This record gives sequence, C-alpha cells and structure tokens, in this order.
Amino acid sequence: MSMRELAVRYGFLVLLVALVAYFAIAADGFASPQSAVFIFQSVAITGVLALGVTATLVVGGFDLSIGSVATTAMMAAAYVMVILEQNAFVAVIACLLIGIIVGLINGFLIVYMRVPDLLATLGMMFLLVGLQRIPTEGRSIATGMTMPDGSVAEGTFSAAFLALGRHRFDFFIQNLIPVSVVVLLVLAVAIWFFLEYTRFGRMMYAVGSNERAAQLAGAPVKAYKIWAYVISGIFASIGGILLAARLGRGDIASGNNLLLDSVAAALIGFAVLGAAKPNAFGTAVGALFVGILLQGLTMMNAPYYTQDFVKGIVLVVALVFTFALSNAGRR
Amino acid sequence: MINRRTLGKLVLGLIGATALMQAPAFAQTAPAPFDNPGNVKIALVRYLSTGDFFQAYLSGVESQAKALGVDLRVLDSRQDAALQADMVDQAIALGVNGIIIQHGLTESMKEAAQRAVDAGIKVVAFDVNVENDKIPQVEQSDRDLARLALEQAIKDNGESWKAGYVYVAGIAPLDRRNETWVEFKKKYPGIEEKAMFGTLDNPIANSVANQARSVVTANPDITVMFAPYDEFAKGVKIAVDEAGLSSSVKIYSADISTSDIAAMREPGSAWAATAATNPAVVGQVSVRALAQLIAGEDPGKQVIVPPTLITQKDLNDNDIKNMEDLSAKLPQFAHADVAMPAWMPNPNKK
Amino acid sequence: MGEEAVFRIADLRKSFGSIQVLGGVGLELHSGEVTVLMGANGAGKSTLVKVVSGVYSLDAGTMMLDGQSFNPQTPAEAIRAGVVTVHQNINDGVVAALDVATNLTLDRLNGAGASLLFNPRRIRREAKQVADRMGLTVDLGAQIPDLSLADRQMVAIARAMAHEPKVLILDEPTSSLSSAEANRLFALIDRLKQRGVAILYITHRMSDIRRLADRIVSLRDGVIAGTFEAKPLDYEGAVNAMLGRKVGLGQVAVRDGGETVFFADGLRIAEAARPFSLALGAGEVVAITGLVGVGKTALAETLFGVRAPLAGTMALDRKPYAPASPRQAIDAGVFLVAKDRAENGIVPDFNIYENMNLPFLRRISRFGVAQRRNERAIARRQIGDLGIVCRTERDDMATLSGGNQQKVMVARWMSEQARLFMLDEPFQGVDIAARRDIAAKLRASADGRATLIFVTELDEALETADRILVMSEHTIVGEHRNAGLNMERLLGEIAGQHLKGAA
Repeated sequence: MSMRELAVRYGFLVLLVALVAYFAIAADGFASPQSAVFIFQSVAITGVLALGVTATLVVGGFDLSIGSVATTAMMAAAYVMVILEQNAFVAVIACLLIGIIVGLINGFLIVYMRVPDLLATLGMMFLLVGLQRIPTEGRSIATGMTMPDGSVAEGTFSAAFLALGRHRFDFFIQNLIPVSVVVLLVLAVAIWFFLEYTRFGRMMYAVGSNERAAQLAGAPVKAYKIWAYVISGIFASIGGILLAARLGRGDIASGNNLLLDSVAAALIGFAVLGAAKPNAFGTAVGALFVGILLQGLTMMNAPYYTQDFVKGIVLVVALVFTFALSNAGRR
Repeated sequence: MINRRTLGKLVLGLIGATALMQAPAFAQTAPAPFDNPGNVKIALVRYLSTGDFFQAYLSGVESQAKALGVDLRVLDSRQDAALQADMVDQAIALGVNGIIIQHGLTESMKEAAQRAVDAGIKVVAFDVNVENDKIPQVEQSDRDLARLALEQAIKDNGESWKAGYVYVAGIAPLDRRNETWVEFKKKYPGIEEKAMFGTLDNPIANSVANQARSVVTANPDITVMFAPYDEFAKGVKIAVDEAGLSSSVKIYSADISTSDIAAMREPGSAWAATAATNPAVVGQVSVRALAQLIAGEDPGKQVIVPPTLITQKDLNDNDIKNMEDLSAKLPQFAHADVAMPAWMPNPNKK
Repeated sequence: MGEEAVFRIADLRKSFGSIQVLGGVGLELHSGEVTVLMGANGAGKSTLVKVVSGVYSLDAGTMMLDGQSFNPQTPAEAIRAGVVTVHQNINDGVVAALDVATNLTLDRLNGAGASLLFNPRRIRREAKQVADRMGLTVDLGAQIPDLSLADRQMVAIARAMAHEPKVLILDEPTSSLSSAEANRLFALIDRLKQRGVAILYITHRMSDIRRLADRIVSLRDGVIAGTFEAKPLDYEGAVNAMLGRKVGLGQVAVRDGGETVFFADGLRIAEAARPFSLALGAGEVVAITGLVGVGKTALAETLFGVRAPLAGTMALDRKPYAPASPRQAIDAGVFLVAKDRAENGIVPDFNIYENMNLPFLRRISRFGVAQRRNERAIARRQIGDLGIVCRTERDDMATLSGGNQQKVMVARWMSEQARLFMLDEPFQGVDIAARRDIAAKLRASADGRATLIFVTELDEALETADRILVMSEHTIVGEHRNAGLNMERLLGEIAGQHLKGAA
C-alpha cells in the first residue's frame, strides 16, 4: 500500500488517537473511565441522529428534518405525559410513531411526488418546527404549566421515562454507563450490521450508487428509498426521546444544531478508513471525534465559538480526505 | 431582540387573568383625568408578542388597566418594525391619552415616539430606547438580578470559593449581568473563576449540559456555578447530577419558570437560588408609570422593576409548585412597589 | 442545385489523445439541398458536428464557407459566420423558463449592441417577424413547457434561423418526434430549402432519409465510406456503406432452436407500430438487429418488465408471462444485460463480487444476511469461467478494462440458470478479444435456455447468432437463418425497404 493509501485509510483514526493522547496529557481528568463515558453520553443524541441520516445518505438522499423530528418527538413525549397524563410506554410509542410517519411522508414526497430530497425535508423541517408549537400555542411544556385554556397541566414525566436519560448501568464501576450510551451503541451496531452485512443494506448502497442499475437488477428502488427515510425518522425520534428524558421537559426548539452536528458527524464518517461513502462505523467515529474535541476543548476552557471553528476545520479536513485524496472521490 | 425573547421564556404570569375581577377601588381620590377613568384611553404598541414572557407581560398590562378602569387598546406589530411605527400613528389618530411602546428598534421608533409626544400624548417605553427625554424608560434590572443571586451565593458559601461561570458574550441582558459578575470578582478576591463556558446552541440546556459536564470533570474543586440565565442553570444542573456532584456544587441563576421550580425542588437539587423579575409586574408598572404621566406626575426618567430572590428553601417552605403558587405565596414576587402613588389602585390586592 | 458547394470540408482530421476519431473527412453542402449524414455509433458523426459548429477545433484539414476559410474557435463564431447547429437534445435549443417570443429573439439579447433594457413589446414584434418568415404557427406568448416536443423543435429551429444562416446542421431532429410531428418538421425543412439554405441532416431514420435526402453521405470509422447522389438514391448502398461488412470474420455453426421457450403474439411496443410475433427456442441464439432508434431497447425492456406492451400477449414455457417489474421478470427466469453498462449496469461503489451478485443476493443470503464467503466463491467461479482479468474478486470496477467490465455484467446474470437470457448491445465499448470471449461463452452456455441479443452492428449478429431478426420502425420486418443468408435482402430490410412497399 502506498503512503497516500495508508494516509487515506488510517489518517483519521491516527488523528483521533493523537487527539486523545494530547488531551490526556493536557487536560486533567480527561483520561478516566467517567470522562470516556461522558464523551459517549454527550454525543449519544447527535450520534443516534447521525446514524439515521447515514441511512438516507446511503440511498443517495438527505434528511434535513431530523433535528426537528427529534425536538418534535421531545415535545410529544412531554405532551403525552404532562398534559395527557399517560405513562412512559405511551410516550415512547407516540414518539416512534411520529418518526415513522414523518419518514413515510418524506419518502412519499421524494419518491412519488418527485420533490428533490433537500427541498422535501427542508419543508418538513419548517412544518415540524411550527407543528410542535400548535398544541400549546408556543409554550414549553413542564409540569404545572398553564394551558391556553387556563387549566393547569398536572401530569409529570414518569420515572420510567426519566430513567432513559438518567439511569446508569454498572460496568466494572458502579453507576457508570447511562442508558443513552447503551442506546447509541446498540443502534450503532444494529445499523452497521444492517448496512454492511444484510442484503437489504447492500441493495440500499446499490440504489445510492447507481439507481438505474439497482432497478434493472430487480431491486424495488422506491421501497428502499422510503425505508431509508423511515429509518432516519425513527432514529431521530429515538434521539428526541433521549433528549426529553435528559431535559425532563418539553422545550420549544428547532433542533437545527442537532441537525448540523449530526450531519457533520456523518460527513466526517466518509473519511474514516478511506470509505469515501456514507457508512455507519464512520458515522459513529465521526460523532465520537467531535465529542472528544469538544470535551477536551471545554476542559481546557476554550470558549464556545472556538469549538464551532474547530468543528468546521475537522469537517473540511475530512471532506478533503474523502474527495481529494481517495480514489473513490475522483471517479 | 430574539435574545430578549429567549430569555423571556421565563415566566408564566397569570396574576392579571386570575386576580381581581372587582371594580376599581381607589384608596384616595384619583387626580384628573382618573377621576373619570372611563374617558381615558391608552394603547400598548407591541413589537414582540409570542412566548411565555410576553403573554405574562400583557396580562400584567391588562390587569393594571382594568384596576384603573381605563380603556386599553393593544396594537401588535408581530416583529414588523415599520408596522410598529405606523401603529403609533394609528394610536395618535385614535386619540389616546397615553402609549406604551413595548420593545422595538430605536431607529424605527424614535421618530414615531417624537410624533406622539408632539401630539401631546404621554409615552412610556419598555425595553426600547427611543432617545427622548420626555419618555420614561421602564426596565427590569439585569444588574440587580445578578447582584441578588451573587449576594445569596456569598451568604451561603462565604467570600472565597472556586466558581464556574456560564456566559455568552454579545447578548445585551447577559452582558449587563456579566458586568455585575466582574464587579463581584473584584470586590471578593477570594472568588476564583476556574472555568467560563456557555453556548446558545438549541436545545440550550442540552448543549450547556454537555459543556458543564466537561468543566466539572476537569475542575472537580468547583463549588459554585453562576449561571445567570435559567436555561444555562438547567443545563448545569443536568451535568452536575450526571457527574454525581449534586451535594458538592451549588448553582445560582437568574429567571424562573414552572419547570425551573420543579428542578430546584428536586430532592438534593444543586440549584440553590435564582433571582427573577415577574413579567406581569413589569406590565403593571408600565401602565402605572404611564398613568402617573397622564395625571401630571413624574414617575422618573427610569422606572426600574426590582427583581426578587427565590431560594430553594423559600420554595420548599412554602410548598410552591408553579408560577401561580409563587405569586400567591411570595408577595414580593407578585407586586413591586414601584410607580405606586397613594391614589394608584393595586391590581393584586384582594 | 448542382451549382458550386456553399460549404466544403476537405481532409478533416481530429484525434483525442491517441484515438483518431476523424481520419480525413471530405464533405460538400450545396445551397437549397439536404445532405443526409449516416453513421453508426462511434463513427464520428457528433465529433464532426462539433468541429463544424466550433465546439472542437480541428487538427488538420480545411473548411471553406462561400469560398472563404472557415475555422471557428467558438460556437458563437460559427454562428456569426453563418453556420448554425440545432443539437439533438431539443431542450438544449430552447430556454424553458422563457416564453416563445423571448426564445425566438434570445440571441439578440446578448452580445454587443444589444439594448440594455428589456422591452417586451419590441421582443414580441421582432419574434413575430421571425415566426412569420418561418411560417411558424406557435403562440408567441406560450410557455415552452406547455409546448409539444415538435413545437419546441420548431421554435429551436426558428430561433436558429433568426441568424439567417447559410448552413443549418440538424442533429437527429426527429429522434423524439412522432411521425405526424415529423411531417410538420419536414414541411419546415422544405421551406428552408426554398430559401436556399444548405442543410446537413444527421439521422438514422430511413423514413426521414427517403422523405428528405437530396444526397446521402455514409460515415464509418471516421472516414466517408460512401457518397450517394445519383437519382434514384441507393438507400441500401448507403446502409451497406455505413455498416460496412467486414468479410471473413468467424462463421458460427448454426443450430436450430429446440422447443419454444418464449412466445409473443400481436406485440405492439410503440404507437402506430405494426404488431409482430416472436418465438424463441431453447438452445438457439437469436440476434435482433436494426438501426439506432428502431425499438430494440424498447423491446428488451418490454420483455424485462421495465415497460408494458401497448398490445399483445407473451408466454414463457407456455404459461402467460406479463412482468410488471424487473423483479418479476427475474423471478420468472428472464434476465437482461442492459446496454450502456456505466449508466444501467455498474454500481461504481461496489467491487467485482458485489456487482456480480446484485440480482441474486436473496438466494445467497441466510435470514437476510449476505453470506460473503459464498458470494466470493460464486464470483471466483465466474471470473474463471469468463476469463475476467483482475487481481481478486474484491477489485474495484474502475480498475477493469471495458471488456472485463462487460464480462462482469454478463457474469452477473450467469450464476443462475435463465429461461430467457437477453443482452442489449453487449459488445458496446468492448475490445475484440473480450467480444469473442463473451460470444463464445454465450453460445457454449446456450443449451436449455433461449438467448436473445440486440445489436446495431450487423457483424456482431453474424458472428454470434443462429438466427437474425431485423427490426425497423418498432416492429420486426425480417427473419434470416444465419447460414447462407441473403445479404441484399437483409440490408434492404435494415434500410426500411418494406416502407417503400407500403408507401
């Protein structure tokens, strides 16, 4: 393997290791199991969203609505528990349903109405940002809030639901691993296995790489595309559940930062192992990369705008790795 | 202006709507023209209106207007600066006695406000500087908010501690709160700022939690977190809980909402105290300052609505669950003794 | 007619890298005449057009317009000199966002001397002049997307004529028009002839040629293979020159088909096309040949479930066969190696074995999980069978030569036993050795299935097939056993002789 191939293949992982080593020396307390777990926890939500958007990238699409799906799911969870006074199970089902429905609508718009993916999901993003405000006339949802009709919401976030954000499993050390990290790891392994090792994942890659060829090889191209958006919607709604469980209330939010961070993670993932294409392992590493950077920089007291700046640099470097240096990019 | 609005998610003030339905009762004979209040017309010209803060502000304006017995017109420009200026002219044409300008842009409102003054109409402005000597400015004091919270921190923790500070520069209210923090650090050299962080990435609490988690890991000796905005405080609390440091860190903040109350009252909550102004009270004060002007009295160039300190202990002792409880059980939060001449009816008094 | 040529090309040469595309082309265009240029794919037609219209510069040779040297460096220069080209893609000739009037006068809005202000009334007035001169009846206020393809084509030509060209080049103008629409175009071309314009008309359609041509020029492998101007025009000769039989290529040992595997009755695949029947037997290799655009690919797609026939029934092994999708066709055992592998075949992100196993992943998978070891074993076997030159089955497709890429495309469908195996232009962009390999493999494996190949090049049919069917105007017009066949009749059918009989 030539030097350049080596650089393309392992450059990003080497960078990651170097970064960890640097922070371990430069920032006190960075190199500890708690710190490691926390890095996972801080990227859990964007990581889950990024894994979902990876599925749409694989079929050659894009999903701009994931951030607002997550915040809409968060509002829905709060609404179901605080205002409708239902239990955690109902809240989770409601969130997942939102993800599935949004995914189906996105897929329908893109596949059957032939609206370009960016535009369809952009429209869906605005729609959801508005929709989440309608039931409460723009108020954030918390126990004891006053409804538009003057009544007071008496429901509470159920303990079982909050546990999704707060419970920790023992792992060598007591109370070490939070539920959200477990969710992230399980979903990452699941989508990785799905995309890399099942025939469905393979056909999704084929659809994204040459749709016509996939169709002539007998693939139901439209169904695969719609499935990709449903996966993206479900993952985003799971992200919303984790968000609601962490915050313990329903905040009005566009989720645009969630969107941007997760898209960045997925794009950084292109560069991992020189894949030059969307892949679940890369996405997970990309999310982790951003998490480690932000954790380290915050521990060293770097202000928030330098973090955005550094995030941007990482993304640009990753894109250069992908498109300029690798063979796949030059095709 | 967005930042004002974001900060404004503070409060659900319902005082106006639920308080007092009875006829205005005057403690003392009111001066003209309030001896015949049915003939007095005032207008509220709004720039911002969506969100909890503005809803509560409006309810305060309405309750005070009702207590006075005057005719209130609400003109809402929905963030259209040009329309807001036109609405001032509309109010002039309506022949109102007084106008409250609520938010807006200096550039667009300066001349409109001058036209109203020229027409002999009394004007007060809330949170917008129209650069006019004849127009009193109603303000909530961000400096006082920060001061109250920090004084409580000194009271609880002594004059020497290691602090984490949450701040994003360039947001006017946060900048004013920051001035107080800088003064305090000068005044109490024992306060050591170990880390400063902050972000407005939404959801804000989630993003701040991620940062705060890193900060407390890097600086386990921090005992006080100053987070002078409740979204920041909420994020810090999540991080402190997740790091298992609830017992060793105390959080001091500004602003309050129903969900903040719940968070402060959780068993073992690190959130010790917050300082807040009730937006409904600000609305009432705006009307009262305008009424004083119309009656020929001088409310002063600046009418400052003082904030209230709310501690975890206050909430627990009084079993306060939400904003209504807060107004009912902490009288200083429900009413501010500002712009209260003897003849002025108090809308909160039963 | 017959006077001095207005436009003359002599010994024109053009190469791209080491590949010579035009090897000394000579051509004359006369004012008031239609010269038809025929040529198979890759003969150099589009390169010639691009040189003449100023897109490419020539390597050697001369071009003379009205006795003056003509060597445009840009398309704009060619247009100014009086040589205007209407390209094949109709939508390149019109701006869809603008109305007809603006389109007709578009070229006046640019360049030196154009008015700074856009005056809709003046535009409308000038557009009306252009339209009247051309006898164009399209509503000047209409939006382009509301027009039929033919009307758009008219607008594009009228727009070109606004330059008052001496030479007009029309590149396959009827390729997406119906015959009624084409007739309107021919009327317009007649009018242009009367105005003394010299027209170079590029087409494969014999009906166009019969209707319009004053002279036919056949281009083959970058040189003029024949010029036909004596009346009556020798159409068969022109086709023959274009397809250029190379003698002495390997003859096949012709076999006859066994029991009928596939049968179609009353099949109609295009509006106004004559229905036809088709029977394919087990073990035989049948080639369908014909010029570009006569419906070969449409027939392949109909049999493969990509499109539905307009009329007629199909049967596979005497059971009714009406696939609604490629999946259903594949499940029934009907496979298609689609033409243009880069467009329709290769998945560029996939390596060799992933490309090969694309259609049959389901059978290689257990519980939805693809069995990679199994996949790679199948791929290695195919690589050996077809003699694909590569390092391993995990090589990128981009590292393979065109011939080896095509072998992978064929191998994709040979890991399972087909009932009907179709290959559309399987020898496109394939070197001679790979072409022989593929043809040999096809014939060697033909037992037990029907094999149908679609080729434009007659040689490829003669080298590969047991039976040759000729397509023209979306129907089958002739059938030949590939042994001692009547070449004259075959060429006549390709050239559309049956049309003459029908007319």
